[in-house]
Amino acid sequence: MSRTFVEIAGRRLPLSNLEKDLYPSYGFTKADILEYYRGIAPFILPHLKDRALTLKRYPEGVEQEFFFEKRCPGHRPEWVKTAEILHHDDEPMTSCVANDLETLIWVENLASLELHVPLARAVSPETPDSMVFDLDPGEGADILACSRAALILRDLLSHMGLATYVKTSGNKGLHVLVPLNRRETTFEDTKTFSKIAAEIMQKHYPDLVTAKMAKQERKEKVFINWSQNDAKKTMICVYSIRAREKPFVSFPLEWSEVERFMELGDPERLHVIQSDAVKRVKEQGDLFQEVLVKEQKLPHL
Amino acid sequence: MAAQGIWGGTISFSLVAIPVRLVKAVEPRGLSFHLLHSKDYSRLSRRMFCPAEGTTVLPDELIKGYEILPDKYILMTDEELESVSPERSRTIEIVEFIDLKKADPVYYDHPYYLVPAKGGEKAYQLLVEVMRRTNKAGLAKFVLAEREYLVAVFSREGALALTTLHYHDEILPDDDISPKKGKTEAEEESRIKKSIEHMIEDFNPGKYADGRRKKLTDLLAAKMKERALVEAPAIEEEEGEGPADLVAALEESMRKVRESR
Repeated sequence: MSRTFVEIAGRRLPLSNLEKDLYPSYGFTKADILEYYRGIAPFILPHLKDRALTLKRYPEGVEQEFFFEKRCPGHRPEWVKTAEILHHDDEPMTSCVANDLETLIWVENLASLELHVPLARAVSPETPDSMVFDLDPGEGADILACSRAALILRDLLSHMGLATYVKTSGNKGLHVLVPLNRRETTFEDTKTFSKIAAEIMQKHYPDLVTAKMAKQERKEKVFINWSQNDAKKTMICVYSIRAREKPFVSFPLEWSEVERFMELGDPERLHVIQSDAVKRVKEQGDLFQEVLVKEQKLPHL
Repeated sequence: MAAQGIWGGTISFSLVAIPVRLVKAVEPRGLSFHLLHSKDYSRLSRRMFCPAEGTTVLPDELIKGYEILPDKYILMTDEELESVSPERSRTIEIVEFIDLKKADPVYYDHPYYLVPAKGGEKAYQLLVEVMRRTNKAGLAKFVLAEREYLVAVFSREGALALTTLHYHDEILPDDDISPKKGKTEAEEESRIKKSIEHMIEDFNPGKYADGRRKKLTDLLAAKMKERALVEAPAIEEEEGEGPADLVAALEESMRKVRESR
């Protein structure tokens, strides 16, 4: 096993297997992964901050087996911050918290290609700071159908007085987020609200969307997964890379972009690959900045 | 005994280890009342209140403080408290056996039963029998719900019972209680002895019941017959804005969306 060392913030960190190609059909090594996360760090870190991190590790690359790691590995350096959370409601568990570059690089050295986080911070696990609609195209539906559903959802919520933000899932779908950032809003509230909104979407656009989990209901439709609004669930973090054949990123979009791509009818242009992600974020800054600070109250709850 | 175990593990000493479950031995049967608002009979709920801010305090804003002087506290985080909590134990390790007659009842705190778990029945029975015959109680230390207890294990009616004991430093001194020894008159002593002998019965606690509780249940039954009931008002969430209003508001917004598309 080859080893090199880096020093970040005075902390010496061993890195291993840098030359290992983790995306064989695209050509993207562990070193490239570390370089991506180093470049995106100033943008992703605020979104990882103080959240119990779930690592999705691909030690042998995206074509081989992966595993989820909710527990922070016992062999962690002593400076890695952790949070005590309850797993399955009552089992206390120690999770990693990536608040700084050195921790981010350390978890990426473990080939944690995908970074998943809860919608709540570790100190207040019952208080989501945003509500999410996870738009997932079923078999026969594509990201264009997803975009159409997302734009209708944006308008619906806008009439309810709520601002929304959209990102690609980095997979096939889109995530629509409603910032809340209020201590009074609970997962019970976000679940109730998102479920009713999803059902109303389904009622009015039955050929386009479904609010039902069942696989057969999702065929050729966009599944609006409202059940992600749950203290026990995690979501792919914005700017996290995904483990697909190519290193696509869960990336924030402007609503005008979604509209434009809809008109162009070119679904591929909605997918953002790692190199474009770094370029774009440096030009436009963090389009998701508001998600962390904007205070909104869910009406009628 | 269908009681759910509150703890499972083994009871052991020297080379003996018997799998057991700990179950409750008592269930207090007091009647409890809810506090209602006298104006509308709403069931009241408790909130943490900050007198300085005049507001309700949410759970994530709470921190523990140990008062050392009036208004002066030492803060203690949950992590720090956890760092001094004992490890959950899987065994009740008997460290010594004492004469049951010499166990001072003042130390007795809370009683439990120990139920044999699968595979432990035979050894359990043997221990029950030997402890009964020798009239001994086992002393053990044992962690339950993050507290370390001193417990006594003894044989009782064919089963093992366990009583948590107060620690020695919790027992208040009795120095001032017993009066100075004086001369006792033989006549007086024999009179008291006689009256006691006169009153001797077998221990049969079933004869007695909580008199106040009985009167209270009778009173409740009588009031029930009179239908002297009040009803709490249905709770309307935030001035009538329940999910029904949310549905209506979303439908109205959807109508606007469809008009503009």
